[in-house]
Order: sequence, then structure tokens, then C-alpha cells
Amino acid sequence: MFAFKVARRYLLSNPSQTLLLIAGVALGVTVFVFITALIAGLAVRLTEQVTGNSAHITLEPPIRIARVLRGPDLPVESVALVSTFQRQQIRDWPMVVDLLRSNPAVSAISPQISGSAFLVKGEAVASVSIIGVEPQGIDAISRITPDIIDGDGELGADGLLIGVRMAENLGLGAGQSILLRTERGVERQLTVRGVFRTGIQSLDERVAFLSLQTARPLFVLPEGVTNIEVKLKEPDNARATARFLAEATGLRATPWQEKNLNLEDALEAQGRTGTMIQVFSLISIVIGVSSALVLSAYRRRPEIGIMRAFGVPGGFILWAFLLQGLLIGLTGALIGCATGYGLCLWLERVTGADGLAVLPIAKEQGGYVAALVLTTLGAVIASLLPARSASKVDPLEAIQQ
Amino acid sequence: MTTVLETHGIEMVFRNGDEETRVLTGIDLTLDKGELAALQGASGSGKSTLLSIIGLLLRPTAGSLTISGERVDDLSEKARARFRNRRLGFVLQFHHLLPDFTAMENVAFPAAAPAGGISREMRDRARDLLTRVGLEDRIDFPATRLSGGQKQRVAIARALMNRPDLIVADEPTGNLDRESADRVLDLMREVNRQDGATFLICTHDEDVAARCSRRLTLRDGRLASNVNGSDRRPDRE
Repeated sequence: MFAFKVARRYLLSNPSQTLLLIAGVALGVTVFVFITALIAGLAVRLTEQVTGNSAHITLEPPIRIARVLRGPDLPVESVALVSTFQRQQIRDWPMVVDLLRSNPAVSAISPQISGSAFLVKGEAVASVSIIGVEPQGIDAISRITPDIIDGDGELGADGLLIGVRMAENLGLGAGQSILLRTERGVERQLTVRGVFRTGIQSLDERVAFLSLQTARPLFVLPEGVTNIEVKLKEPDNARATARFLAEATGLRATPWQEKNLNLEDALEAQGRTGTMIQVFSLISIVIGVSSALVLSAYRRRPEIGIMRAFGVPGGFILWAFLLQGLLIGLTGALIGCATGYGLCLWLERVTGADGLAVLPIAKEQGGYVAALVLTTLGAVIASLLPARSASKVDPLEAIQQ
Repeated sequence: MTTVLETHGIEMVFRNGDEETRVLTGIDLTLDKGELAALQGASGSGKSTLLSIIGLLLRPTAGSLTISGERVDDLSEKARARFRNRRLGFVLQFHHLLPDFTAMENVAFPAAAPAGGISREMRDRARDLLTRVGLEDRIDFPATRLSGGQKQRVAIARALMNRPDLIVADEPTGNLDRESADRVLDLMREVNRQDGATFLICTHDEDVAARCSRRLTLRDGRLASNVNGSDRRPDRE
């Protein structure tokens, strides 16, 4: 294609200017890739921090709400009251667990008895959230056993696992006994079998684990469980899976996003900020390419004029300039993607004292295809204005210039 | 004798708001194939405007223009561009070569651009033309490395690339030293004689006009004289 040859020659005629132009585009694309990878990495890290030690979906008994009844056979106003004589619980939890096990989206299940209690040691009293779990499934939702720093972590019949902050507050250590008083008024002496340090303050300070069997009499639940915690292979699918599980079980299914609305808002705001930076990077690329080609078209007016005088079609000149934009955009985008990937690769290896990367970069989510396509397209669009003006050069005016 | 150019009643009036400037009035002109005609006149006499009209770069206000038997004054812009490409050649005071291309590529350009590339035939013709204008040792030289005279000779070769019926030249020697100007003019005369190419050369230079077969003089926008020059017509030699 001859127009391509012309475009290439025009770009090579001023190598320093072309190099600067490509470097500018590459820099913009590097920023685009870096920001995209950073925003994705931040989202992954924040999501992991939130969902890593908590359930992706919580199944609970449906909420019972008192409601007004209306109908031709009813008195003027009737209200269906909520009975509080029966505990809210999931009685047929083994069936629900079987259903969950057959769901390929589910990676872990933990039927639990949760409730509030106080730990009493002498005059020291601390409120605590009790989670009664099946001993073999203690790590199904939160990684507790690997974070045990004191004791063996065996729950047994009277064992209790507490967080390091609570242990400090109460002056407790593994092997010591403590009195637990539940919200049901039941008391029992338990033994601390392990102290864990997860690094999550809410867990380390306020949560204690015991076995499901130990929890039953303490919370007066001989059969059922209060909730079933579910982990998914893909946390992002929690909403859809929760809807499905709610329909299938008749239980209330809450995805992790609804429990962390602030996080979702923060991620969305972060995403919007990233998009703004990406848009501004693209705009700066478009302006840079356009202004350089406008200057080139102006500088070359006489030779474009002679081409037009010789009857070279306007379309040919249009293509010659559009192809310059394409070449600049494509080359700059390829270099920018490679540089952006290299930068992400390097930043990924720069770790802090905690062993984590200083910046949470998700280098595989750098938006390389988007950067390549949008930049190339942007550069072609940027060259439209100078290309159109060059293709419409009046040969007579240009020759006389 | 084949008529290459025929104009009838060409008028050109430039309007700037309410102000009108009449540049050409009633130009009737005929050029036969193989003529080497000089178009003279004082500055502002309208010769560049007439040349631009004949070169299909400007539309006249009135009058008809026929080139090689085809009425061209009412063609669309696209058709004019196509006509210029196939039937007309241009040599200008400033060569306006494409600086990023070689001499051969510059010569081939008018044929290559519409065709989408330089074919072997185009390459061979460009080489032949460059050999004819005495630049056989500069064929693959970048245009920027040629002297002023050499560039103008490349421009003449470029004008001949598509075997035009008429070559319009606007002060082709105006930017050259005497020696280079003579070489360029000799070249045009040679092409005129050997190929029977028709030239219309706008010039201030008396020497150039004197070596043309015909002299046309414009005065105040009218064709004041139309006489044979010192040279005989090439087809009558």
C-alpha cells in the first residue's frame, strides 16, 4: 500500500520528533496499564482481606416480620404477629449442607451456632462472639489453626480458642480455664486450648471458637444451627449464587457484598478514579498525536499541494496521515504495554516488612488489550483532523505558499 | 494538426465582499499538439491566473475550456483531479519534490499514488525519464541531496511520467542560476521536439520566451499578442 509507504517515510523523515511522539504515547499507555493493574490489585487485595477470613454467603433462617392482613373475609384490620416462642434456627441443616456440597460453585461449608456470651475471669469480664463449629471444619471459613500461637488448637469437649487480643485483655494463656456465660444464661467452665493471631482485629479481640457439640447446650439448640457459612470458588459470583441458594433452600442468603457495602462503595470509587486517570491518559495521547500531525500537515502543505495538483486523490493523502496516527499509536501502545508490564513486574517484587508487595499490583489485569485497542483507535481518531485538513489542501494555495 | 488546448471567452473575476477585481477578460486561445508556447506579461497581468485555469487548479468565472477535445471547465472536483493526473503535467518555479523520497520515487509518484504502488513498468519509465534528463547517476538519490537544477530536472521528469497532453510550467527557471536555467530550458525543448509534448510556459524571462515557438502576451487581463517566436514549430522541423 503506497499510502503506508508515504506514512512511514513521513515518520522516518524526522526521527527525533517521531521518537518523542512515540515515547509520549508509550508513557501514557504505561500509566494506563499501571493504574489498571493497581486498581485491580487493590480490589483483589481488599476483597481478599475482607472475604479471606469470612464467609462469602451466610445462610440464616428467614426474617419473620409482623404484617397487616387484608381480605374480604377479615375484620377491618388484622395483623399476623411474629411468634417469639420458638427459636429461629435451621433445623434441617444436614439437608442444606448436602445440597451445598452438590453445588460446584461452593468450596467450603461450615454449619455454625453463633451467639453472644461473656468470658469471666475473676473480676475481668469480656463480651465475646461465640462461634460453634464442627471441629474438623474450623478452618473452612477463617484460617484459625495455622495462626495458633499458643496451645494445640484441639477443641475437644470443653475446649475454647480465643484471639490474642482477648487473651491479653483477660490475661489468659493455653491450658487455663475460664467461665463462659451465654446470652441464654447458661454457664460453663471451659479450657483455653489455643490462642490465635489472625491479624484481623475483630477476630483477635472479640471472637471465640468452640465445638458445635459444646455450643448446643450453651445456646439451648439441641438439633439445629443458627447459620451456615459458605465459601465460593469465585467470590465475585456471591450475589448470583446467594439468590440461587435462597430460592433452593427457602433460607435468607446474604452475599458478602451486602455485609460490606462500604467496601463496595470504596471499590467503585476507586474504579471510577482509575477510569478518570485512564481517560485523561488517552486524552493526552490524542492531543499529543493530533497536535504533532497538525504541525506536520502544515509543514508539508506545499508538497501536499503538488500531489493534489498532480491529481493525487484526497483519499490517498487522508490515508497517509491516518496511517501515521495508526503507526504512532500502535508502536507507542506496544512499547507502553511492555513497559507497563515490566513496571508491574518490578513493583510486584518490591515487598514491605510484612512480606506483601508494597503496591498490590495485579499485573495480569493491566488492561493490555484495552490499552492497545483504545490507544491505537485514539491515535487514528487524533489524526483524523490533520488528515482531513491535509486531504482538503487547495493545490493552488499550497503551491503559492 | 491536433488541437490540445482551446479556450473561449475565459473570464476571471475575484470577489471580495462587494469589491470585484477583474483579472482576465475574453481569453480565446488555441494550442496545437507539439507547441512550445511562452506566456508573458507584466506582474498582475493575469498570466498565473490563466495558467491555473488551464491547469484545472482554478475555475474561471465564465468561458469554456477544452483540452484534448474534452470540455473540462464544468467537471466535478474529482473528475478534474483525475484529468489533471492523466492528461496534465506541472513544472513550477519551486520544484516541490517530496523530500523523503528518492528521485525515482518522486518521478513515479503521480502514477504510483492513484495505483497504490510503484509497479515495475512505472519504475522502468521513471528510470528512463531520469536518464533522459541527465540524472541516470542520481536515480536512487534522496531528493534532498540534489542541487536546485537537478531538482527542477526531476520535476520535469515527474511532469512527463503519465505522458500528459499538456504541460503547464510556471516560471520553471525563475529560481535557477543562468547555467541551470539553460539546461532546464534545453531539456524542455528537447522533450518538446522528440516527444511532441505541448508546453505552455509562463515566464518573465525574455531568453526563455525567445526560445519558444510561440509567444503569448497578456496585458491587463487580455491577450494582447499571439505571435510565433524565433524557433520554428517542432513538428514542422
